[in-house]
Amino acid sequence: MFGFVRPLVPELKVRELERFRAAYCGLCHELGREYGLAGQAILNYDFVFLAMLLWGEREDCGYEMRRCVPGFCRKRCVCRSCAPLTTAAGYSVILAYWKARDSATDARGLGKLPGKALAALMRRAYKRAGERHPGFDASVRERLGELSKLEAENSQSLDKTADRFASLLASASGAAEESSRRALEQVLYHVGRIIYIADAVYDLGDDRKSGSYNPVASRYSLDSDRLSDEQKEELLETLMGSARLAAAAFDLMPRSYWTPVTENILYLGIPDMIRAVLDGTYKTVMRGLPKSPVRPGGGESEA
Amino acid sequence: MSDPYKVLGVSPNASDEEVKKAYRDLAKKYHPDNYVDNPLADLAQEKMKEINEAYDIITKSRRGGSGSSSRGSGGYSGYSGGGYQDGSSYGQIRQAIQSGNLQYAERLLEECPNRDAEWYFLNGMVSYQKGWLDDARSFFQRAVSMDPYNGEYRQALSAVSSTSSPYRQTGYGPPAAGGFDMCDMCTAMMCANMMCGGCR
Repeated sequence: MFGFVRPLVPELKVRELERFRAAYCGLCHELGREYGLAGQAILNYDFVFLAMLLWGEREDCGYEMRRCVPGFCRKRCVCRSCAPLTTAAGYSVILAYWKARDSATDARGLGKLPGKALAALMRRAYKRAGERHPGFDASVRERLGELSKLEAENSQSLDKTADRFASLLASASGAAEESSRRALEQVLYHVGRIIYIADAVYDLGDDRKSGSYNPVASRYSLDSDRLSDEQKEELLETLMGSARLAAAAFDLMPRSYWTPVTENILYLGIPDMIRAVLDGTYKTVMRGLPKSPVRPGGGESEA
Repeated sequence: MSDPYKVLGVSPNASDEEVKKAYRDLAKKYHPDNYVDNPLADLAQEKMKEINEAYDIITKSRRGGSGSSSRGSGGYSGYSGGGYQDGSSYGQIRQAIQSGNLQYAERLLEECPNRDAEWYFLNGMVSYQKGWLDDARSFFQRAVSMDPYNGEYRQALSAVSSTSSPYRQTGYGPPAAGGFDMCDMCTAMMCANMMCGGCR
């Protein structure tokens, strides 16, 4: 479900891309140091975005050269550990653990195994993270619980189910400085909606195969894994509406060290991702951001 | 108050033109039209006040402290939403929505006996304010199909039916091709503005 929130690379300045990669590596090292391999395995772009939004007024926390695996690989430039990265790392562990637990409870028969295995692997990391961030832990547990209930009822309201996930993400704004908290809460709420709905569109095929609940399929009472053009248009309206509201809220946050990158993500990266998910090109276009060649033309895909 | 140059994001050595441009850009960004029916409208209003003050201070000090408000007619003033004073329950609901008391509005709507176009429209407004855009569109569609001649309903529907990307203020600007249409954006904003008290 994660990794949808990323910049549109061709539109970043070179130094912004280098910093973004350093922050990504920084989060990875943070996860490794605090939560071990199980933590590192859940690294994703969304939480780099969260760390950047939680940055506050500080400048960079310094960079250093480190190897991904001691003894192997070449050294890379990495963000030094600092509070926003630590928070984002802890939050990502908590969310991944409860997601795994949930998918184990929701699935049937052998389908329970992957979720169970992941939850077991993450258990120690989760215990540490949960002790450090009890507030976020409680809110994730509660909201995912409500979400499972809605899913079990086969809820037809796309907004209602998305709301549970969105407010879960919005509760991460509690870690921000007072002055930006309200605006950040809105940014995260709408980004949460986008992640949830985009993920549902992306998973239509898989969910149909495995027979699991899919909020988009349920909203439109689909009997195949394909959306009609009108349905796609409606989803585009819904998702772009949220993208505009997230961007409007973002404009009310104070400028920070990461503003050029977060601005790119909200104004260009997310709209690009939305279009790619809806026209079915997401998998081919977006995979492997750091190494992949620049997408010709960049910018907006043809509407 | 904080440094007015910092508020506008320009250096104290910036030319009058640069200051003016920075002010204009920020005023566009925080313009109330961009935050119609947005729960953060008050924050945007504060920002607007801040940059208005900063711009006034700078222009005044540059003119040697003389003269009154220099923004003149070009300045953007605060936004005042039209209040609904009518005593009917729909009026009450509109008022509740306007003041951001969505739970109360929802309760009143539930208690409403009739399910006419206005009822669907107001439900759409509540959904919209919550950020539930899919539900909002469904409600507006319903309202429009029941009362196709009501301009308010149609404008509300077109405001949630925009597919344009968020408009980027800074940087190199988006590529010109496809998807991005300033006209759509403007009409959507104007419609959204109408929705909030313009007609009635």
